[in-house]
Amino acid sequence: MTFTTLPQTILSPSTHEFSGIIHRLEAGGSMLPDTPENLMQIIGIYKAYAVPMDFYWRDLLYIAEHVFLNPLPAFKYFLPQEYLDLHNHYAGDDADLRIWRGEATVHPELLEFIEKGELKQKLPKLFHHLSHDRVNMEFAEACMRAMFWHRGMGGQFDPYLDTDEYKANADRAIRAYFQGNPVMLGLYKMFPDMFLEQVRELSYYANLGLFWEVMAPVFFEMSDLYDEGKLTTVPEAMNFLVNGIFAIAGRPIYHHVYIRGECYEIIPKSKGFMWLYEAALPYVEAVFYRTSPFRGTKSYNAQAKQVPGEQDDFHYGILYADVFPVGSAGIPPTLLMQDMLHFLPPYLLDYYKQYCRGDDDLLIQLGISFQRSMYNVTSAVIQALRTALLYPLDDPNPKHLMANRQFFEMQIDRFKRPEARLRDIQRQDYR
Amino acid sequence: MLSTLIWFPVLGAIAITVLPVRQLKLAALTISGLILLWTLWIATQFDYTNPLLQLSEYLPWLESLGLNYQLGVDGLSLPLLVLNSLLTWIAIFSSQEETQRPRLFYSLVLLVSGAVAGAFLAQNLLLFFLFYEMELVPFYLLISIWGGEKRNYAATKFLLYTALSGALILVAFLGLVWLQGASSFAYEALMGQSLPLWLQIVLLSFIIIGFGIKIPLVPLHTWLPDTYVAASAPVAILLGGVLAKLGTYGIFRFGFGLFPQAWATLAPGLATWAAISVLYGSTIAIAQKDIKRMVAYSSIGHMGYILLAGAAATPLSLVGAVAQMVAHGLILAILFHLVGVIETKVGTRELDVLNGLMNPIRGLPLVSALLVLGGMASAGIPGLVGFVSEFLVFQGSYSVFPLQTLLCVVGTGLTAVYFVILLNRTCFGKLDNSIAYFPKVEWRERIPALVLAITIFFLGIQPSWLVRWSEPTTTAMVAAAVPPLTQPAIAQDLSKKLPFISGLSSLEKQ
Repeated sequence: MTFTTLPQTILSPSTHEFSGIIHRLEAGGSMLPDTPENLMQIIGIYKAYAVPMDFYWRDLLYIAEHVFLNPLPAFKYFLPQEYLDLHNHYAGDDADLRIWRGEATVHPELLEFIEKGELKQKLPKLFHHLSHDRVNMEFAEACMRAMFWHRGMGGQFDPYLDTDEYKANADRAIRAYFQGNPVMLGLYKMFPDMFLEQVRELSYYANLGLFWEVMAPVFFEMSDLYDEGKLTTVPEAMNFLVNGIFAIAGRPIYHHVYIRGECYEIIPKSKGFMWLYEAALPYVEAVFYRTSPFRGTKSYNAQAKQVPGEQDDFHYGILYADVFPVGSAGIPPTLLMQDMLHFLPPYLLDYYKQYCRGDDDLLIQLGISFQRSMYNVTSAVIQALRTALLYPLDDPNPKHLMANRQFFEMQIDRFKRPEARLRDIQRQDYR
Repeated sequence: MLSTLIWFPVLGAIAITVLPVRQLKLAALTISGLILLWTLWIATQFDYTNPLLQLSEYLPWLESLGLNYQLGVDGLSLPLLVLNSLLTWIAIFSSQEETQRPRLFYSLVLLVSGAVAGAFLAQNLLLFFLFYEMELVPFYLLISIWGGEKRNYAATKFLLYTALSGALILVAFLGLVWLQGASSFAYEALMGQSLPLWLQIVLLSFIIIGFGIKIPLVPLHTWLPDTYVAASAPVAILLGGVLAKLGTYGIFRFGFGLFPQAWATLAPGLATWAAISVLYGSTIAIAQKDIKRMVAYSSIGHMGYILLAGAAATPLSLVGAVAQMVAHGLILAILFHLVGVIETKVGTRELDVLNGLMNPIRGLPLVSALLVLGGMASAGIPGLVGFVSEFLVFQGSYSVFPLQTLLCVVGTGLTAVYFVILLNRTCFGKLDNSIAYFPKVEWRERIPALVLAITIFFLGIQPSWLVRWSEPTTTAMVAAAVPPLTQPAIAQDLSKKLPFISGLSSLEKQ
């Protein structure tokens, strides 16, 4: 779809504050301006993000399925071999739907990092872990918790966690897990909700793990396509995402637990929870838009009223985040930036070296590229939603186009607040 | 041996004028580094148990004028000599790589260093005066050529004030020698003079006002904020770190040393003056919106402690005074250097614009951290050199002038107030994303501050290295000064004549 040739004459120009961006969206473009520099930044970041993401999804599933209710999960970030070998459902020869043409097992760069770390030395895993030479899995857990805490963002998955059916499933798994452990069983008897809530959280571990299992191969493939010269514009990159979203929209979201070799289906696949509605959209809402205020930026003091009373009003996601304090205390995205730093493609490293403080402020420069790339991902989500709920962009009916416009304006309204970085990413010198 | 400290920099200043431009900074650094090493070597040769002049040098020069080339070092001047050599090195190190007209700049800096060393070493009043005047013109040029905006106004103001200061001092020196009927200006010969008290008071007043301009004390200070602010960082370091010490050194050596009786008479007034100076400097600093001005006013406040200690004239307070001179020199140097770095990187000194410099990646984290350390040292936080010296001053002065000492303690509280304001606005908070693309700080810009920070910290936890040099000398000065009158008696005596002071002393008794 080429967006430049679309008839713009049917509707009068938008009077919205961000009319330029809305017209771009109506023409099939992205919120991120289409420049080669932007494309290079976002693709490079997709690549750098996908490698730790490959760890995130594997470990999230490992925790949801195996670590489960371990009261002292000291080694939950130590992936066993079977999870490194676990086949991604969207890569490799036996894929359900082959998105990435690479291997289905763990990404080679990630494997090298797990083995050698930043030190570039083969040492016992525990040593790498204790010297903090590792993937910052805490970031993935923070994203999971954001989704868990911002409940009720639509979909069926979340209400299901409160049903009796879910409680019965969880109950079976809890009893099986603590079998032969009278202390924990006694505790469960006394405080059943304590364990049930833990299981709910673990279901979100599975949810997010399954979400990222899709995104990692999508990003790897985009990076490969870019390297092959097959992705040449920002809208193309966005449309690849839109198509990917529709291709995978129906993949099941479930929570299985493996206890002593037996599988307990806490959320069975047969419930029919779908990736798009139960994982992707809640994720975008919870992590891109809302999350929770950074402890280093906002005061949680109730009298100060800096944090909104309603969760709907939360606006601390990556689309609003101030990336400049990355590296300071109390700024959670630092963890992710630090993870991506290890896997930057060479062209992006060279690019960053030319600007600002070069090597010294890589974390912030890549953080801002990350923000740009997530604006592009959000654009893809908005376009996908528009495709699903409304009308094609080349619809000849002005009423339909008007409905599209209202939808876009409504979406962009969320970026009117001063914290939103939509204005900034329009400028190339925001870096 | 001592002459090297004067003439090596002067020769260096001349030599530098013929060197190729690219090696100038390196050459100046080498020269000042050698001077620093030489000074440290002199310190090792110095016998700090001996209160008298050491390593003296004497050359007859203009006998008919009573001007002879007489040098010597004692516990009062040695720490200041080391300070001078260190700060010269620091100032040259912290000068910009791309300084305009570098030949003249480095020559002048070295010339100033030599002149200041000469003034600290001179044991002849006229010789002292020569060196004292010798730094005047170089400083005028350093400010007016390499300064910021309003540099011409500031430099002229500095020149006029300093010239007036010189004139007053010369009047006092000449008056002393002529009234005494002495044949030479030799310091030691003039020490045991026996002029009538009222005449002593008149001469001492000239000296106090003359040096008080340089220190500066409160109504005589108006040149300071303009000059410090207009001067570039290295020049400000020399101005605040070294030149101000020339004033306090002069007041001690020539005021207290030559007129002990008159000094004792004026002491309560001086102590009150010191307290006013401290409170004024600190209060005005709170109101400033420019960080360099804040640091400049902090200097006025801190020099007040030295006068208080001098007025009290107990052995402890004088040790404290010398310690405070050194401490203030180090602290002011680190603050001016850091403020200079901030100004070059951020491009502003405005408190309302600066923000979030503690940001570890896009800010100036090490510079901010050292600024916090400097501010804490200045405010007298234990563990740093400022506390040691201030505590010595207070401990030494309280028994003599309790009220004034307490007012000065309030002054340190105010110092903490304005430094917290400064640190809060510059280091804390969050960076303004629209301007926060500062260039990175190079290691060569950090080194001077690191050297000073280590010194400040070291002397803070090992203060005997700060005070042991001057202890015997200052004790001897007090011993020489006290016998004529015991101090409480003076206060009693004066309280009958001056109602203001009697009011104070009645307060003291309560």
